[in-house]
Parts: sequence; C-alpha cells; structure tokens
Amino acid sequence: MLKSVQDSPLHRIANPRSVAFFGASNNITSMGTSQLLALLDMGYPGAVYPVHPKLEQVQGLKAYQSVLDLPEAPDLAVLVLPTRLVPEVIDQCGRRGIKRAVVVSGGFDEHGDQGRELQQQLDQAAERHGIRYLGPNCLGVAAPHNQVNTTFLPYEARPGFIGMASQSGSFVTQMFDYLDKFGLGFSVAMSVGNEANLDLVDVIEYLAVEPHTKVIALYVESLRRGRRFLEVAREVSPHKPIVALYVGGSEAGRRASLSHTGALAGPDRLYDGVFRQAGVIRARTLEEMFDFCWALADCPVPAGDRVVIQTHSGGPGATAADACGRAGLQLPPVSQATRQKLAPYIPPTTSLNNPVDVTYTKNPLEYLLEMPKVLLADEGYDGMIFYYLVPEGAVKRALLAMGLDPDQAAAQAEAMLEQQAAAIKEMVSASGKPLVGFSFRTRDDAFIRRLQDQGVVVLPSGERAAAAMAALVNYGRLRSKVLAAPWPAGT
Amino acid sequence: MSEIESIIEQGLARGQGALSEYWSKKVLAAAGVPVTREELAGDADQAVALAGEIGFPVALKACSWRLMHKSEAGAVALNLTGADAVRMAYERVAGAADELEGVLVQEMVAGSRELVAGLIRDPQFGACVMVGLGGVLTEVLQDTAFRVAPLDLGEAQDMISELRCAAMLERFRGQAAVDRQELGRMLIALGGLGLEHPAVAEIDVNPIIADRQGRLKAADALVVLRGGDHA
Repeated sequence: MLKSVQDSPLHRIANPRSVAFFGASNNITSMGTSQLLALLDMGYPGAVYPVHPKLEQVQGLKAYQSVLDLPEAPDLAVLVLPTRLVPEVIDQCGRRGIKRAVVVSGGFDEHGDQGRELQQQLDQAAERHGIRYLGPNCLGVAAPHNQVNTTFLPYEARPGFIGMASQSGSFVTQMFDYLDKFGLGFSVAMSVGNEANLDLVDVIEYLAVEPHTKVIALYVESLRRGRRFLEVAREVSPHKPIVALYVGGSEAGRRASLSHTGALAGPDRLYDGVFRQAGVIRARTLEEMFDFCWALADCPVPAGDRVVIQTHSGGPGATAADACGRAGLQLPPVSQATRQKLAPYIPPTTSLNNPVDVTYTKNPLEYLLEMPKVLLADEGYDGMIFYYLVPEGAVKRALLAMGLDPDQAAAQAEAMLEQQAAAIKEMVSASGKPLVGFSFRTRDDAFIRRLQDQGVVVLPSGERAAAAMAALVNYGRLRSKVLAAPWPAGT
Repeated sequence: MSEIESIIEQGLARGQGALSEYWSKKVLAAAGVPVTREELAGDADQAVALAGEIGFPVALKACSWRLMHKSEAGAVALNLTGADAVRMAYERVAGAADELEGVLVQEMVAGSRELVAGLIRDPQFGACVMVGLGGVLTEVLQDTAFRVAPLDLGEAQDMISELRCAAMLERFRGQAAVDRQELGRMLIALGGLGLEHPAVAEIDVNPIIADRQGRLKAADALVVLRGGDHA
C-alpha cells in the first residue's frame, strides 16, 4: 500500500495545480473544446494553458503556439489531438518539464500496425522524459473535490465518496447524472483507456489512499496484470471495499485446451474465483455496483447473515423477503422477548413474523424510530431492511387538518421530515448494525431525499435492498478470510 | 532430482505431450494426492495376477500418454469381478491405444459422489486451480470454482463452499460426509505442482471418487506437458 496519496503517479493527474490543454479551439462542437469547457465549468482554480498552433485565444484564455512557450511547467497535459501528432507533442511536453498526461486520442494499439508503431513512439517519448499518462483512448479523470474534469460532459453530480476505475469511458461520464439521482457522486473517477502506461491496478493503488474515497468501483473487461491485481486488491479490500462489474466473461472466450479443466475455465468462472480470493465484491449490473458501493460506504459490516425486515405494506415486504431468501440471507422469526418490547407500539391483533408487517401504528415516529431501534438491538439479527413511505403531501394534509395555513403546513412538514431523517440516522448509527432502506418513491420525495442526505441508504426496491445487504454480508466474510491469511499463501 | 521432476523429465525426453494415467498418478501421489491402487500389466496373465492382489472388482485401462480421453476410445473396462472377465477384457483394452505402456489394473472405488479438480495456466493469472462436480454431468452443469495458486486451507474451503453441489459433500444418501480438509489439501497440492513445475501445462483429476466413508481417491488423472507433442 502506498504511504500517501502524493506517492501515486495519479495524484497530479487528479489534482493538478495547472494544466496544458491540446486540441481545444473556439469550435464548440469539437471534442477537445467540450473537454476544455467541462474543466472550466468545474470552476477549476488552477491555471489553464491552451496550446494551439494558430489561435491567440481559446475560449477566452490566452493560447500558446507551443508548449515550449508556456510560462511554467504545468502539472498535467491533456491531449485531444490527431493520433499522429501525439508522440511528438508528448516529447515537447517532456522537454518543457511536464510529467503527467491524459492522452484522449485513440488510434494506437487498437488500430493495426500503424497504430502499434505510434504507440511505440509514444512509449519512447514518455520513457525519455519520465512521463506517466492515462490512456491513450480514454476520457481521463473527473475529480470533483479538486474541481477537475477532463471528460467531455459536465460533471452534474455532487462531489462524493465513490472512487472509480473504468475500462469504459462512458461508465465514468454517463454516470454523473445517474449517481446524482441518489445524491451520490464520485470522489475520483478515471477512464483508463488502453492502459499503455497506467492501468486499473495503478488506479486502485491510488484510490486506496485517496482521502475522499470510501469505496472503490471497478468496471473490468480484462485484467492485464492479473496476479498484481490479486495482490493489490487483497491488500486494499479489507480497509476500503472494492466492488467490480466484470463483463468480459462470454463463454465464447473459452480457450482451446487439452484438459477438461481448461475447457471448463470460462473467464466468467475464473474471474468469479479471483474476485472472491481478492476480497472483491462482484456486481452483476451497473445499478448493483453503485448500490453495493453505497451500502458498503455508509453501513457497518454485519456480523452475520440474519436479517429482519420491517414494513407497513404487505407486497413490498414480501418481495424483499423473497429476494433475501434467494440472496442466501436468513430471516429468523421475532423472539418472544422482542415481541414484548414491540407490544406498546402495535395493535394487539398484529401477528409478528419476519417481515415485521405493521399495517397500523398509533404514531408514525414509533414506526420509524422506536420499532427499528428494538429490532436492531435484538442479538438475533445482524442487519435490517426497512420500507420507507412518508409522502410529504400526506404530512402536509395532516397539518392542514390540524388547522395550519398552507404556508405554515409546508414549512412545518419540511422541518418535521428533516428532524425525522436526522433522528433515524442517529438511531441507526447508534445500533452499530447495517440498515438498508428501500422505497418506491425517489429522491424527488422530500423524505427520501433527506434520509439519503443524512447517509441512510434508500434503494428503489426490496430486491435491490436485499442484494445490497447480501453484499455487506459477503464483504464481511471475504474480509475475514483475506485478513486471516498472508499472500501468497504459505508465506 | 525429485521423483516428480524425474517423471516429468522422462516424459519430455521422449517428446510426450502428456503423461499417461499411470505416471500422472505417480506425480499426484508424490505431491500428496490420494490415488487408486493400481499396477501396470504387460499381458493377460499378469493382469489376472495383479487383479487378485488388488482385490476384485477391478478396472482395466489402456495406458498410453496418447490416450487423453480414454472412455471415448473404448480403452476402459470397469467392474471386472473375476479372472475370466479380466482375461476377456484385456485384449480389447490393449488394442485401443498406440504407444501402449501396458494395461493398468486398478481398484474400483465404491461411491456415488464424483468430483473433478485440475490446474490450468491463465495468461493473466498464471497457475489456477479448479474444483467442481465430477462424473458425467461435469460439462453439462459446469458447477466449478477457480482460484489462483497458491491456496491455503481457508481459501480452499471457501472455494469448495462456492460449489452448488457443496451439500452433496455432507452426509449424503447413507454415505459419510466428505473429508473437506483432504479435498482442500488436494487443491493446494495441485496449485503447488503448477507453481513448482513450469513444464506442467495443465492437470485433470477426473473423477475424484468419495467412498462411503467419505474418503477421497483420484480414479483418473492427466498431466499435460508444455513443449511436448500434442498430436
């Protein structure tokens, strides 16, 4: 593990004090211009030096004919240039003292013999000057805490805690808005492209010590340094959870082999084993990956797999229970002692199973605070899945019925929801156990938004909540296993 | 030179692309993997005598490194219960292979639970170990788990528990629970062979049969060599 974030070659790519930008112009439809504008839109505080052979100004900034003319050696160069120019420009960057680059241009190793030759020239230029770079054929980095974004889309989410390394640029840029819908965001997200110089493993090592990152997301099509990945991920995952979405595993990829073992070694099964060995949680879909990241970042690790579900609606509770069963989670019945503790909050006719399905409570705060507190305190449960439904409209209606005028009712409703969300987060944190909520209402709902902003995980369905809880359980098991044994085994 | 190294050396010296079942099992046994009791016979009389020593029922198998998939080649006769049966099977089995080293006379392990294990070399991960459900359904169900070598016992146990057929390793239809520690040690040994012997390209141990007491024995094995003739 790196001692500090400054030791990573990626530090000054995500956190440059100044940037040289190649390939931006005043033509707003060009890719390079979009990328420069995305950086400026972030309110990037450092100096930006557009380099352009002809223009005197680019997007209102003074432009330079050559990188050699710059008044200082910037921390980072971003290249959105025709492929054939890249090796020469990297060489010039090196001569000007630049040590880090993002090479957006494609057309290298993925593009036949000519591309491979250009890659060799690029390697030589970078080597000559000790330049470390992301790409080629990548979108670079979004580091919202540092107000850095080299991708071509504006960063629309808030700065967050999910660090990402992606072999697809789209799963960086096109996730900005997706994450924002849950109140989430990236700490640092990197598109690694062809990984000619810095690869996925380098990004994991960086994110492991990057202070805003609480959890690491990986989009993997193929791991080039397989054994190094295993080694690094085993070191990192017990301290910072890693969630991987791997999709390279089509059975068509099976190798020609003389043994049955070889014929059975489809890449999907192999990666499955490698991830488990590395302590990495595997997600099957992109939605799952970010669900798992969220739960792993905001919830404590459960001691076991015994879950209690609380709901006040039959269907949502039943689907969550069904999904728990399929995810390998246990749903033990409610103990006699806990039944007695819940008795004051529920009508005597309620039958208490798991899910605890309360159709009626005298006081909604008892449903939201007192009952989960009792259930979370039960030593027979390791975690809780909770169905949330508190529509702001219903709260306002109740306040209106109590005689408040509409403005007062709206203000009062907001204040009440805020207070409740804070109290729920406090109650859950104090329990020391994970609670994963779900609701069919989204972040547009005032209560759900406030819960999420308090750090309560609220997912869009019981199935997704159950899968996230299973990921937490799984992480706990893999972490114990990884911590119990040094790598390689037997040392 | 260790026993394993010298077996591999001899195979490579003869230009072999693989070791025969007999030598493959010698390698496994030297690495600590339990294998079936067996001897090579050069003629029918010797086969009958060996069968008497090993105890009926026995299996006869043509033994040649060229025979990587024996049952398809008609080179196997199972459950031979007496001397006549051995004598009758001998000529058929012996005729099923080129470069015959002999006919393997082998104990039959009684047990209905079959597992498979093996070693591959992956371009990214290097030596990787597999365990799975064995027998005729291996390819159909593909119930397998993989790990990168080396493994320790904890990792091997995690790997075994990942199998859908893991419940079959508990007490099962009147048979004792499978010795999971033993199975774990087999997987560790396979990984060790991969790491210590670069000339080993792949290994199949298929099937591993669990007997009624839950003890495991490798009933067939194949060690594929790197750099030899695979025609």
